[in-house]
Amino acid sequence: MTKEAKGGKWTSDLVLDLYSNLLTEVWEIVSALIGEAILELLFNLSIKKIGEKYPFLNSLVVSEEGISLEGIRETYRNLPPVDLHRGFQSLINHLLNLFSALTDGVISREVFPKVFPRVREAERLVSQK
Amino acid sequence: MRLIFKNLNILRSIINTINTSFEIKEIVESAGNNLPNLFEFSAFGVLWKAESSLYLFQEESCPPSFTQDVAGNMVRVFSVLGEEPDDLSRITLQVEKRKLRPSHMAMDPKAKLRSYLVLPLAVEAEIMGSISLNSDQPNAFDAQDLQFFSVIGYQMAATLKHFQRFSTVKTMAIYDPLTTLYNRRYFEERMIVEAQKSFYGGSFLSLVMVDIDHFKKVNDTFGHTEGDKVLQEIATLLKASVRKKDTVARYGGEEFILILPEAGLEEAGMIAERIRRLVESTLFEVGQARLHLTVSLGISNFPGHHARSKEDLVKMADQALYDAKRGGRNRVCVFHSVQG
Repeated sequence: MTKEAKGGKWTSDLVLDLYSNLLTEVWEIVSALIGEAILELLFNLSIKKIGEKYPFLNSLVVSEEGISLEGIRETYRNLPPVDLHRGFQSLINHLLNLFSALTDGVISREVFPKVFPRVREAERLVSQK
Repeated sequence: MRLIFKNLNILRSIINTINTSFEIKEIVESAGNNLPNLFEFSAFGVLWKAESSLYLFQEESCPPSFTQDVAGNMVRVFSVLGEEPDDLSRITLQVEKRKLRPSHMAMDPKAKLRSYLVLPLAVEAEIMGSISLNSDQPNAFDAQDLQFFSVIGYQMAATLKHFQRFSTVKTMAIYDPLTTLYNRRYFEERMIVEAQKSFYGGSFLSLVMVDIDHFKKVNDTFGHTEGDKVLQEIATLLKASVRKKDTVARYGGEEFILILPEAGLEEAGMIAERIRRLVESTLFEVGQARLHLTVSLGISNFPGHHARSKEDLVKMADQALYDAKRGGRNRVCVFHSVQG
């Protein structure tokens, strides 16, 4: 596990916790709008695309029950937090673009207010380095 | 609360109409007829990848520019989902117009697409297409619209998947897998229709039975795999030699049969002779060898040969084929009631 000795305030686990909560929240909001099966499909499409650049994302497990980061925790917890952050940030951006392309702002209006503060928080954690 | 119940009832009714539809056009039409009870929209679209078709059910005053906007947007969004844009460039647009709003609210002739919802039609992670609701008004749809629309999308995807499966079964039931010609079963069914049309309508109907000469030798010398290739090549030549309205079927083994609706003896004779010459002039690559092959053909005709049933017509074509074989092969024979 990577731990910043000086600040001691952020770790890979912290970043993973933050994105785990964020993705769960996105899942809950959006699945209520378009259903689990379509959302699962959109998540998998996004993971496949962004996973090309950030292979650790391919360990995300998506099912109709939701999204699990356990595979990443087990295998990639030694990755630098900033890499984890960049990967998740790209994934979320891609998902939001997909939502916008599909529903012309209807999903984005529901999700943006939740997502942006969390991503900013992640940025803040990483920049404390 | 009462409004939600009302909407749920409308939703149930839409799902029911989708469930009981037999083809995609019917789905689009029945869903389109009911959707105005749930949403205010200008066009409802269904893009179905398997058919490369985009069905639009839209307000009758929709200007062409709006239709183009909707079609372009659906294709664009579909490509965002990772689907090949090239496949979509050949899309066939099928537009159905209905009065969805009062005359005084007719669309502006320069109306543009201002807001939309698009959802993938997917079953078991396979994207089969997409559906869309479109409006010339900005922010026409909200979260509740999306919820209702997604339920419709799920039902539509399940029904389309069912159609796809049914279509595969249907294909297996009517085609010969080796030659991809129609099989004998389909021939029998088609003959019922064509014979009825001809016997009761008084139009011409010809049958041509085709048999590859000395085909057994090909199988015995080069093996069945090479023999199968010959059958496939002959099937291709047959398909290329007939008219659009004709039916070419594999009758069994190395025997084929052609149904030629509205063809008199002269026309049937021309088609048969064309096939004979084409096969004769083709060099077949069989294993390492190059072979010349020939076919024999027998023709029967209604009303020329006074057939009383479709079975009679088949027997007559078979008899004529027998005559062609007996006469030395590589020839076309027409049925004669008095054989000599």
